[in-house]
This record gives sequence, C-alpha cells and structure tokens, in this order.
Amino acid sequence: MQPKQAQPADVDLLHAVARGDELALGSLYDRYRVILFGLLMRILNSREEAEDVLQEVLLQVWRRAADFDEQRGRPFTWLVTLARSRAIDRLRLLGARRRLVDSAAQNTPEEASDAVKNTLHSEQREIVQRALAELPEEQRRILILAYFDGLTQSEIAATTGTPLGTVKTRMRSGMIKLRKLLGKEMNILG
Amino acid sequence: MAHEDYKEMLEAQALSALDAAEVRVLEAHLQSCAECRSQLSDWEDAAAGLAFAALEATPLEPSPQVRARILEAVRTDTTTGSRAIEAADGHRLQAANVVALKQTLRWSPAQTWGAIAAGLICAALVASLFVLWKQNREARQELARLSGQVRDAQEQLARQREAIEIVAARGTRMTELAGTKVMPGAHAMLAYDKKGRAILMAKGLPPPPAGKAYQLWFIAGGRPMPGKVFTTDASGAGTLNDQVPAEALSAAVFAITLEPKDGMPAPTGAIYLSSLT
Repeated sequence: MQPKQAQPADVDLLHAVARGDELALGSLYDRYRVILFGLLMRILNSREEAEDVLQEVLLQVWRRAADFDEQRGRPFTWLVTLARSRAIDRLRLLGARRRLVDSAAQNTPEEASDAVKNTLHSEQREIVQRALAELPEEQRRILILAYFDGLTQSEIAATTGTPLGTVKTRMRSGMIKLRKLLGKEMNILG
Repeated sequence: MAHEDYKEMLEAQALSALDAAEVRVLEAHLQSCAECRSQLSDWEDAAAGLAFAALEATPLEPSPQVRARILEAVRTDTTTGSRAIEAADGHRLQAANVVALKQTLRWSPAQTWGAIAAGLICAALVASLFVLWKQNREARQELARLSGQVRDAQEQLARQREAIEIVAARGTRMTELAGTKVMPGAHAMLAYDKKGRAILMAKGLPPPPAGKAYQLWFIAGGRPMPGKVFTTDASGAGTLNDQVPAEALSAAVFAITLEPKDGMPAPTGAIYLSSLT
C-alpha cells in the first residue's frame, strides 16, 4: 500500500521532470514501472512490445510533463491513461490477430495466493479484482473488452453480437457500479 | 443534443470506447461544460483503477536494461537537447557580448559597414518574423472558429439524420402536440419508431427563463414518466431526441411542462403542450 502522502510527491516529481530533472524521471519510473508494465503486458501480451512501449511512455512523460495539470486530474490517472493509450495504439498497429490471442488468454484470471499477498500493489490489485468480481459477468466482460482490448462500443457490439444499445447500457451500469465499489478506496489507488 | 445526453457518454469516453464521430461531438461540448469536464476526470480515475486488475499474482517486472535505456533516450532526446542548448547559448551569447564591446574600438570601416548591414538584415528578419507570427496567430484563430462551426454543423446534421431515420422507419408513429391555454401559439410533432426512439420538434415556444427548461412527459395509465429536458432558440424552435418508455409505446399521452433546468422526476410546472386536445 502506498502512503497517502505519496500523491503530492508524485506531483512534485512531475514538476521536477518538467524542469528537466532526470533523477525525478528515474524515481517516477521506479515507483510505477510494475503497474505500468503489468498493464502493458496485459494489453500487448508480449514482453518485447511492452518494454518498448514502456520506454515510449516514459519519453512522452519527459516531453509532456509540463502539460500535466494537477487541477484536472491525478498523476496516477495521467500516467496510466498515457500508457494505456500508447499500448492500444500499438495494438491496433500490430493488428487484430494478436488481440484475439490476448482475449483467449485473458479469460483465465489468476487468483492471488497467500504467499504473494505482500508483493507490490497487492492491496490495490485485490480491491479492484474484488470490485470487478462483484459486477455481473456481462458488464465485467464489456469493461474488459474496452479497457484491455481497446474495443469501442460499436466494435464490442459487432464482436459479441450484442445490440449497441445493450452494450452502452451495460458499459454505463458497469462503470457506475465499479466507481461506487472503488469509491472509498480511490485514495489507495494512486 | 442535451447536456444529459453528453453526460451519458462520459463513462464510455473514460474507457475511450466511443466512436470517432461521438468523440468529436463530445469534445466540442466539453470545451464549454465545466461540469462534464470534472465528471469525466472522475470517470477517468475509476477507469485507471482497472490497471491494477492487470497485475499478475506475482507482478511482472520489466528487464533492468529498460530503465537505463529510458534515461539514455532522455539524454539524447532532441527536445531536452534543445533545452540544454538554449541554456548554453544564453551563456555563450553573454560572453560574446562582452568580447564584442571590447573589440568595437579596433573595428575597421569594412567591419563597421559589415556590422551595419548585418544589423539591417537582422532587423528585416525580426520584422518578417513578427509578420509571420501575426499571420500564423490569425490563421489559428480562424481555424479554431471554423472548426467550431464544422462541429456545430456536424452535430446538427447528426441530429437531422437521426430525425429522418426515425420518421422514415416502418411503423413510426407521429403525434401532434398542441399548445394549451398557457401557450396557445405553441405546436410540436413527436415521431417515434417501434423501438421507442423518438424525436420531438417544437415551434412557438419562447426560450425558457434562466434556470428553467422544457421537459417531455410520457403519460401511460394516468402515470407521468419523465422524458428529457430541452430548450428552444430565439425563433421559438427546439428539437429533442428521447426514448419512449416501453410502457408508453402502445398508448400514451405526451405533454410538455416548464421545469427546473435539470428536469424533475414528476411534473411540477404548468403544461405548455399536450397531445390531448
């Protein structure tokens, strides 16, 4: 678990990066490499691609840190959104073939064993997985197809053979429920 | 589209799951709606939380070389490079100034003329740079204005297309709403297809007072069900896309009342238009 006061430090790190401080970029990398790399691996399903995109993301952080506006969002959200968007771009570049392989692999989520309860981010991981487990299957599936496979609502409708209106309603209900479930824990989530 | 319609797009936008055309329409709205911007930021926080679901029970680590590669890339990055060069140039220029002042006393006439010519060229360059900068700024402003117009036109076109689609669909019903005593000059047509997709076109309704909006109601079995809110323009015209509830599809009365701008769960204001006349 990260201490609550970690957040101002993130903002300070980003400001330092904006001023051209390489050490600050290194600290951001050390702090977020595991969560960002995990996300990139989940989306791209390839160590080589994930490492390449991770490097791109950090370079983008270096160039765009001055654009970060703490009034408009959290540093964690900014970093994760940047990484996810880069990964989805790469996924689209690589083509749909890999995505299908990914989806098949993603249908078997692993449960955390007691032995690794204390590993990095394990508390956050547990909170989010518990919240996802509480969603009805059809809502969870739509959120996962959108977030990790980068599919739009129309693409989800076409892929799953579900009417677009139903996809929209399920996505909306899923997000509302997810936010409610995560609500109390948001301060722990970065 | 009404504010509520945009609000319903925010969750999907946080997952970047909207189609390109929807994104354009929503982004145009976000520019002018602080409430939606702030809500989108909340949805983005929730979406970012999903990243934790990607972690393996034993989280994977990038290879140790990645860190070194990133820091190396940063050092050779052109953006940073120019930052450093700018700073270094600043020092060099100061040094050059000091030397130049000392040298002035020893300049030959040729050097003086050369310096004057260089000065003139420099001034001309600065002037043309200024003109270019001004033109560029004007062009950008014009572009922003035109983009805004294109977005508005696209939005309007999308609304009209949907209206045509609904009106032209097989089994679409058209119901006329007439102004009540409160607003005898008002008139509206409500078209809705078999799935309940509805479009309302109203005329003769003055723009609602500040903090108020018109709200559509579907009344079935004596029970009013709330529709969406809408406003009208200076000419008294307004349109609204809505969904007729399933219960109201077979037999319903439609009415329009004046309500607080975010709409009410049950009607509170005067009835301006009704399909029962």
